[in-house]
Parts: sequence; C-alpha cells; structure tokens
Amino acid sequence: MRVEERVASIVTIDDSDETASPRGIVVRKSWQRSFLTFLMVFGPGLIVMEADNDAGAVSTYMQAGGQYGLHLLWTLVLLLPICYFVQEMVARLGIATGKGHAAMIYERFGKWWGRFSLFDLLAVNFLTLITEFAAISLALSALGISPYISVPVSAIGLSLMVITGSYLRWERVTIVLCLMDLTWFVLTFLVHPNWAAVARNTLVPNLPTGGITGSLVFLIIAIVGTTIAPWQLFFQQSCVAEKKLRFADLKWARLDTLIGATFTVCVAGAMMLVGNYGYRHGIQFQNPAQIALALGPMAGKFVRDGILLLMVNAAVLGTTAISLASAWAYGEVQGWEHSLHKKLWEAPGFYATYVGCVGAAAAVVLIPRVPLQLVIISVQVFAGLILPSAIIFLQLLLNDHELLGDRWVNRPWNNAINWTIVIVLFALSMLLAAQVILPNLFPS
Amino acid sequence: MATMRTVPEFEGFRVVHPLHDKAEQKCSTKGLGHIAMTRSVRIALAVLRGYLVLMTLMLTYHVMALAGIVR
Repeated sequence: MRVEERVASIVTIDDSDETASPRGIVVRKSWQRSFLTFLMVFGPGLIVMEADNDAGAVSTYMQAGGQYGLHLLWTLVLLLPICYFVQEMVARLGIATGKGHAAMIYERFGKWWGRFSLFDLLAVNFLTLITEFAAISLALSALGISPYISVPVSAIGLSLMVITGSYLRWERVTIVLCLMDLTWFVLTFLVHPNWAAVARNTLVPNLPTGGITGSLVFLIIAIVGTTIAPWQLFFQQSCVAEKKLRFADLKWARLDTLIGATFTVCVAGAMMLVGNYGYRHGIQFQNPAQIALALGPMAGKFVRDGILLLMVNAAVLGTTAISLASAWAYGEVQGWEHSLHKKLWEAPGFYATYVGCVGAAAAVVLIPRVPLQLVIISVQVFAGLILPSAIIFLQLLLNDHELLGDRWVNRPWNNAINWTIVIVLFALSMLLAAQVILPNLFPS
Repeated sequence: MATMRTVPEFEGFRVVHPLHDKAEQKCSTKGLGHIAMTRSVRIALAVLRGYLVLMTLMLTYHVMALAGIVR
C-alpha cells in the first residue's frame, strides 16, 4: 500500500502538486492506517482460495470423510503451505508486472508455450465448469427445483454478477459468498465430531485400516488436485493486476493469501468432518447431495439443507472465479480489453468469453445422459497432469532477473520450497497417470 | 507556480485505495524478448511438452474408452 503521505508536523506541502490524489481516507493512528490498507487490499487471496473449495472440492472432501473417516485430515495440514507458497509467488508476480499470468507466459516464453498453456487452461476450466453446474443441478434437484430452472437461472445470475462494470462490486459480492462458507463450521458442530480424534488425526499423519489401496491413492491425489488447481495461478495474478495492487501492497497481499489459505483448509476440514458423520453412521454415498438427504433424518433439516445450499454456493464461487480466469487469460492473449471496470460494450470479447464459458457449461449439463461422473474424473486427472507444468512456468518467471530485477525474484529458500512442491506434484501426477494406465497397480 | 504552505501539526495518514491511486511503473517486458534459458532448461521444457502431449492424448483415449466411444 502506498500511503500517500504522512503529514507530520512542520511539513511543507506543495498544494499545486498534481500527483497528489484527491481521494483517500485520512486516519490518525498508524495501526488504523495498516488495518485500513489491509482491508483495501484484502480480497483476491481469500477469493482464489475459497473459490477453490468448489463443487468438486465439496465432493472430494466429503468423500474423504465418508470413506476414510478422520484419517486424511493431516493431508490438509500439508497442503496449507503448498497453497500459500504457490499463490504468494503469483501475487508477487502480479504486483511486480501488473499483468496476468497468460500474458507473461506469452511474452516471455513465446506463442507456442503461450497457446499450449492457454489451451490447457481453457480445456480444464471448461470441464470444471461442467462439474459446477452438475452440482447446482444435483443440489437444487434435491431441494425440489428442476434442473431446467436452476441451471439456466444460475447461469444468468452468474453472468449478471460480472457485467456491472465494477470490479469492486464483483469482489464484495464474492467475498460475501466466501464468508457464507463459515456455515460449514456450524454444520460441523451440529454433527458432534470427536474433537480429540480430530486433533490427533490432524497433527499425526496416518493411514486408514487396509493400508494403501488404489482408491486411497486416487483420493489423496484428488485432494491435492482439488486443493491447488491450475486456474488459481491465472486467476490470482489477473485479479491482482485488475485491482492495481502496488508494490507496497505486497505484504498485505501475502497476509490476504495466508488468511485465504488457512480459511480454505479449515473449511475443507469441516467438510471432511461432515462427511465423517456419514462414515460413523455407515452411510454410502456417491455425491454430497446423497449424503445430505441421508443425513437429514439423523442430523436434522438444517444440516440437510445446509449441505445442499453450501454445495450450490461452492459451485457459484467456483464458476465465477474459473470463468473469470478463462476470460482474463484469453483477453490478455488476444490483446482485448479485459477488465471488470469496463462496461459490457467496452470489453465485448472479454465478457463474451465469460458468458460463453458459463452458458456452454450450463447447456452441457442439461443434455440428457451426459456422463457427468466421467467428466468429473477427467477434470481431476487433467488438472493433476497440467498443474506441475503450470507451476514450473511460474517458477521460471519468478527467477527472471531480467524482467523482475533483484527485488521481486525468488530467494534461494523460495526456490528450494517451490522445486520441492514441483517434484511432489510431478510424482503425484505420474502416479495418477500410472494408475490410469494400470488400474490394478495398487490393491483395490 | 507552486503555492507553498506549512502544516503546523500532525494531521494523519491518508490511505488511498489501490484502484484510486496513481499508476506505478511496473516491471515491463517491453524490449526484452523471450526469457533467457540455458540449454538444460530448454531440453527440460521440450521433454515437458512431450510428456504433456502424450499424457493428454492418453487421457483422452482413456476417457473415450470409459465412455464406450472406442474399444
């Protein structure tokens, strides 16, 4: 944050200075300045993290709780620093360059890699959007609303959300949606988990009875894949550029990202605990809507409707963030106006991409007999495949001294952590690939 | 001509929202061209490209097989 001026005693001010901004809020205390600055910067970090708790994530975390109880809680603790370190790099790159991730790949690695990355991003994003609308359809069907009403209405609402010509309006609405996920904690308390066991399984890595099986490996990879996804890199950097964060805002952007990562991991843990309630009562389920309906008679109507509505909220959050990631990236590469500050007619290509992504994904869900489960699996595998390469580009960009100078490039300890993350993700990606090729690699 | 005045006492801190603030000079790619890469990085990226193409094709085939489109 650039505090415009610290007006101290006996300071001479040049009243004719045209660079002095007429806007801003004057506060008297240093802590008020810091707090207010943080509030102004706050947003992209929370949104990118919480939007990652999308419909697929709700399904994966609840599945993890429903299938393995509390045994996989520790994975979330390991994923917290990974989320933070990767997204911190993105925020830093966005603040340093003022440009989105797709634009940076194009400009520094050339058209071939630019197009390749963009194609991968758009493809995996589109598949993910289908899963979001599938979740909306499932959850609202369970509440008695036909998909032929819920899906188009959601698509229209999601489109209207961004075409107001104001980034701040979109950001505020989205932050409210993120905070609605606090309800997961209420649901967790209502299902009365064993808190001692929760603490033990969170802090001590352990495996469920039965050891390493194919489904366990797949689920762990899915948890990793759903906690950190390729679109997040593109989204946060574009978001930071859109918000015009300044060099001095970096420490607040880091705090925003850390809060977002911590909140997201806690919400993910809450989802596992709710899923664990199904595990304790021997409920078998394929998706969160089924467990919500099954839990209704035991845990109450509030829990049932809460899960269903939170599923919709997760899908809405995921859809708006992922569609924006696609629209920003495509707009950057095409050289179009690509800003939420622009009116609909000022950035037609950008808004058309957003609305096109939303509309097409919604339309696919309404096609009868589309194999949605197959789409969901493909998304997880595809995202898992391209994530390590996306992070490699990020890592190379953050070591670009020519572009960033010494101030913004990674420090050696950054590089050590990030290469470790890349190696772990690559290992998981190859494991996933091996499992796809050899389904009997691990015992069932 | 600049008008000068003296502020006698501390007035506070002015906090400006990033969107309403002056634009900063950011790190620019203008005139830089493509990123400088060592031979080993270039080879690693070529391998990565091959890996991604192969895996994408394999995944596509696997999904089509699961969907019953190919046998």
